[in-house]
Parts: sequence; structure tokens; C-alpha cells
Amino acid sequence: MATTTAAITITSTDIMDSPLSISNTSTLTTAGTNTGLVETTGLARKKFASSSNIILLDHGLTSGIAADVTADKSAKVYIRNINDRGDGTKYVNILLAAVEIGRLYGGDWMFFPWSGGSGKDVEFTASDTTETTLEYMVFYE
Amino acid sequence: MATTTAAITLTSSDLLTNALALSASMTLYQNGTTATGLDEVNYHRANIPTGTNFDLIQDSAALSEDASYVYIINKNTDVTDYVIISINSEVIGRLYAGDWAFFPWDNDLTDTEAATDPSGNDSTIEIQAVTHECVIEYALFHNGETLLTAADS
Repeated sequence: MATTTAAITITSTDIMDSPLSISNTSTLTTAGTNTGLVETTGLARKKFASSSNIILLDHGLTSGIAADVTADKSAKVYIRNINDRGDGTKYVNILLAAVEIGRLYGGDWMFFPWSGGSGKDVEFTASDTTETTLEYMVFYE
Repeated sequence: MATTTAAITLTSSDLLTNALALSASMTLYQNGTTATGLDEVNYHRANIPTGTNFDLIQDSAALSEDASYVYIINKNTDVTDYVIISINSEVIGRLYAGDWAFFPWDNDLTDTEAATDPSGNDSTIEIQAVTHECVIEYALFHNGETLLTAADS
């Protein structure tokens, strides 16, 4: 088994009267155990210049990770929009199936658990056709 | 405006042949701005009993088409305890004990949930505890929300 950790730190000195400091580290394990996840897609990078809806992680891909990412297994997804922020109006919508999760503006990242299943692809739609680069990585059982 | 940063570090010495050391940091800005930080936050701790899917963060007209960010952590310690995180009935994934998530949230609403319209839910973040009651902490960083008018106002 492998030991992989994900640490987050959220800080602000002025969003509240007292400083905000959130810090936590989790070890990525298989569902309901202390056993570390041992598979990963590795870090990948994708460039695109389209405002169409595009599949980033295809759950239905026969030779892909479909069998390993299911509702009752553990999987974590990291995605980052590595573009510059620019004027702050360009973003990439991240969706799970047809449901929009949220917008990644330039420089933004997200880390979330992924419950796979039929049709539960991770998709994205850019706000325009500006060339955008995403980096992403999946950890799974 | 406020300055809030969120940083992630992913590390492993034995998942791959070479060590994994990935880190990223971002500042939480308002939509359509280059350097104006989000200046509102809701930070909660809650016990989630089993058996019911609850609304955790309700959609709000003021959150629509804006930049908001959500942080959720399951503070339980029993590795079999988990919560299911959903958006509008679409299951995103499970947070087992100790797991956390951080993601942008776009309140993509066409029908705003309200006390008088609880079915108007198209972006609400939902949570359900499985196995045992789960203690969670969660934060919403945002740029304003629409508060419901008090029923006795």
C-alpha cells in the first residue's frame, strides 16, 4: 500500500475580525479502511480552445478507470486551471454528469471525492474559446 | 475587500516510482475582478445524523453566477463513517472520516429555494451521513447571499 496525503490550508487575516486559519491533512485511503490508495492516473495536462462541453474523465471508457471508480469505492480528483486570471471573467465550468459543480477561474484548483457510476463523467465547459490549460489527477482504488 | 488564500499539497513517497510533491495556492477573488477578494464567509460545525439527506448549503439568488468556494471536512475518526455529498441529487462523492473537499460552487439556479418553496432546489449542496452520525465542519466563501425574509416580519 502507498501513503498519499492531501493537505489544505485556508488563511485570511481580514475576512473576519479575528484571523482565519484552517489547516487539515487527510490520508487517501480505500473506502472504509486505513489502507492507502494505490492507483492514480498520474498528473495530466490538457489544452483546449473550445466552449463546447468536453469530457475530462470518462467514466464509460472501456479501458479506462471505469471499473475502479464506483459509488462504493474511494476516489479523489484534483483539477487546476493553470491559466492566468486575466481580467477575471474567463473560467471553466466543472460538471459531474449534467450537474454543474462550479467555476475554476485562472489559477483556481479543486479537490473532491468522486463517486463513479454510469454516466458520471467529470466534464468541463469553458466560458469562451480562449486557450485554456487544465491539470488534473485522480487517486483511486 | 479581504485576502483569503487556499493552498493544497499532495504528497507521496511511494505511490509512484518517483516522489509526488504537488502544491498549488489560490486567492479567492470575486467574479469578474482581477484582484478583489471575496469578503464574506460562513463557517460552521454540525452533527449530521444518519438516515436523512439534508440541505447543507442552500442556493441563493445572490450567489448565482458568482464565484463561491466550499470547504467540507468529515471530523469523525472511525474509518467506516462517511457522508455523501450531493448537488441537486447528483452524488458528487463520499467523504470518509478525516477526508476533506474544497471546490468552487456556482449557484446555477433557475428556481431559488426558499422557506415557501423548498422544492426550488437546483444547486443546493446536500449531505447525508451513513453508518454513524458524523461531525462535519464546512465553510462557504462568497460575495453575498440572499437572506430569507422572516416569516413574522
